[in-house]
Amino acid sequence: MRVTQSMLSNNMLRNLSNNYNKMGKLQDQLTTQKRITRPSDDPVVAMLGLGYRDSLNKVQQYSRNISEATNWLDSTDDAISQGVKVLQRIRELTVQASNGTYEEAQRGAIAVEVDQLKEQLETIAQTQVGGKYIFNGENTNKAPAVGNFSDGDVELEIFDGIKLNVNTKGSELFKSVFETLDKLKSNLEDKTASDTDISGFLDTLDIEIDHFLKIQADVGAKQNRVDMMKDRLSSQETIATEIMSKNEDVEIEKVITELITQESVQRAALSVGARIIQPSLVDFLR
Amino acid sequence: MVSTFHGLETAKRGMTTQQLALYTTGHNIANANTPGYTRQRVSFATAEPFPGAGLNRPQIPGQLGTGVEAGAIERVRDAFLDEQYRSENTKLGYYSSQSSALAKMEDILNEPSDTGLQAVMGKFWNSLQDLANNPQNSATRQAVASNGQMVAETFNYYYNSLERIQSDLGNEIDVTVGNINAIVNNINELNKQIAAVEPHGMLPNDLYDKRDLLVDQLSQLVNVKVHAVKPKQYGQASPQAAGLYEIEIVKADGTSYGSGAKLLSVNPADGSGAKLLSVNPADGSATVNSLTVKGSNGTGKPLEGNVSSITVGEVTINNLEFLGELGGLIESYGYKLDEDTKVSGYYSDMLEKLNNLAKAFASEFNKVHRQGFDLSGHKGKDFFEFAEKAAKTLKVNKNIMNDGSLIAAGFDADVANIPNDSIGVEKRESLLASSGNNSNAFRLANIMSKDFSQYESNVTLPDGMTNGSINSYYASIIGDLGVDAQSANRNKENVQVLVDSVQYNRQSVSGVSLDEELTNMITFQHAYNASARMITVIDEMLDKIINGMGVVGR
Repeated sequence: MRVTQSMLSNNMLRNLSNNYNKMGKLQDQLTTQKRITRPSDDPVVAMLGLGYRDSLNKVQQYSRNISEATNWLDSTDDAISQGVKVLQRIRELTVQASNGTYEEAQRGAIAVEVDQLKEQLETIAQTQVGGKYIFNGENTNKAPAVGNFSDGDVELEIFDGIKLNVNTKGSELFKSVFETLDKLKSNLEDKTASDTDISGFLDTLDIEIDHFLKIQADVGAKQNRVDMMKDRLSSQETIATEIMSKNEDVEIEKVITELITQESVQRAALSVGARIIQPSLVDFLR
Repeated sequence: MVSTFHGLETAKRGMTTQQLALYTTGHNIANANTPGYTRQRVSFATAEPFPGAGLNRPQIPGQLGTGVEAGAIERVRDAFLDEQYRSENTKLGYYSSQSSALAKMEDILNEPSDTGLQAVMGKFWNSLQDLANNPQNSATRQAVASNGQMVAETFNYYYNSLERIQSDLGNEIDVTVGNINAIVNNINELNKQIAAVEPHGMLPNDLYDKRDLLVDQLSQLVNVKVHAVKPKQYGQASPQAAGLYEIEIVKADGTSYGSGAKLLSVNPADGSGAKLLSVNPADGSATVNSLTVKGSNGTGKPLEGNVSSITVGEVTINNLEFLGELGGLIESYGYKLDEDTKVSGYYSDMLEKLNNLAKAFASEFNKVHRQGFDLSGHKGKDFFEFAEKAAKTLKVNKNIMNDGSLIAAGFDADVANIPNDSIGVEKRESLLASSGNNSNAFRLANIMSKDFSQYESNVTLPDGMTNGSINSYYASIIGDLGVDAQSANRNKENVQVLVDSVQYNRQSVSGVSLDEELTNMITFQHAYNASARMITVIDEMLDKIINGMGVVGR
């Protein structure tokens, strides 16, 4: 087949240009650390990449939701503990007061303290966390009025489609305790009340304390569940990141090796080309 | 009896012919790098021998050769390779223009990345979840409004950028059509010049080269078939004359459109009676039909709206099977020709998909938003506003942008379907006391992964949006784009290899090899020297006869 100089030089130019193309692509991959920079590089990888990004974003958001849920539950737990302390102090006072040796004035003093403790309990009922009243059902913007708690469940999404009820309704927790304390106070102030009347309140107070503890146990159970979910989410995050990376990222060693190979191919092409296109018949004719 | 000066004439013929060949070699060397140049070659043929057969012939041994004469100066060119090259070049033009248009689309959509629509919708979802965590907080509400605006702005940006590039493609179509018509006019001019030379029996090789180069350029733009016509009244044209080119746009498989979409047609004269004597060198009146591409909105230039008709003179081209750069550009731009039932084209399809996506999303979002109640116990208003071209005009309701408390994060089943103002006083009181209700925030966040079949709004969803959700539909849009772009790129690379290979073969046949020309140069030079030496020999012989005979004894 007849071959001319221009064919040789065109060939050389085309091969060099192809080589530069390949090196440019490898350079792109090294600098971005991604196998694909546009969907046409690998459409399947691109589509999967969109899905994985979405999953990772969701997992990270659920982690944030869980810390919000933890906030709710921890604050509720703390408030209930304080409430229990208050009730136990009241119980102590009641035991004292039911001691037959106390007189009217001393009972009066106890009544005042009971009153203060009742107000403390009211303050606990109006606990705020992050601007939200946690015992007021759905009416988180307004402080609950005593004995008139709003209703409603507050739910947070802690995983795809899984919602957790994070609040404790004030109406549930404090349902009879304020009435009981009012009665106790009026009995303490009543000069005609007997010891047995007052000691009768001990049982009621025990029931109240048990009620608080039971609700605290529920909250504790939820906290455990949230902890487990948090562990699960953090391992999910690792997995999602790993899958995304396997899908899109380059293996640096492989790319660098290819780049070195391509460079040596380039040098060989340049030197061979230079040797071939230079000599011609003119050099040898006299 | 052979003439005295017979040898001189033979040697002289040798010298002039070798000289002609040397000059042609010089022409080849000078044009070694001219694009489109085909090497030329003088064809040597022996001259008429002596004596001819007949009664009165001289009785000498015969036939004696009388030297060499140059037959014709011809190009060394393979017409079949030309045809091959042009058909591959057409495909190259087609795939290149598609590949570059799709690459621009990929650049705009920019997925997967942290700034594309998918990432922005993800952030919007995040803000809705944060709203569910803290529905009474004005900061989270404002974040939802701002992120919603970002989603709208991303849609606007995509739509506007794609529209701008589409209009650039329209300009390119206009320019390409102008180029095609200009090239055809140039070919017509060359035809006329060639027609002025060929009837004299000469071969205008350089004009042929120019004309073939123009046809090569034309083949990249549109698929053409070349038909060489020699008019009947053509003087004494040599048998190797190429004739006049007739150019027709054909489909990729070579079949014609209708009666033939001829850009340039040559009318061979009929050889009847009176016309035999007419001296009309171009006889073959030529008709140049211009190519017109019309848009659905306008009359031609500049192109507006989708391409609705492609005509060459009176013949309509009703599909895009002619490939070429023009075919690729029109296919990317958007077209609805006679055979089609709806508008198609990469850019017009993508714009429509974006509109459908925006419309479906905004309609469903608005519907769910209207079912909820806001911080002041009122039912939600429309969150998004949009007009006919949803992706272009999408934006967040200005009132909501200014006041985040209007975002309807709460949901109550009793209230959901009541029209806005007829909520009873008692009910409103209870709604005002439910600032922590976040159920509607969840329902809004859920829309992005909600299946189309469960949509509550009455928006009509087009084909292709029956299964899957907003997220999966968008992923499939990107996947389709990736596949189309990848296939255009691959095809372009493959066809480039074929084009290079055919070009290689063409160069092998027609290219000038300097070494070969130098060798020829030496050959002709030696033959010239030998012929010149022959003249010296004859000269000495004649000298002997004239001055040396009849001087015996002098």
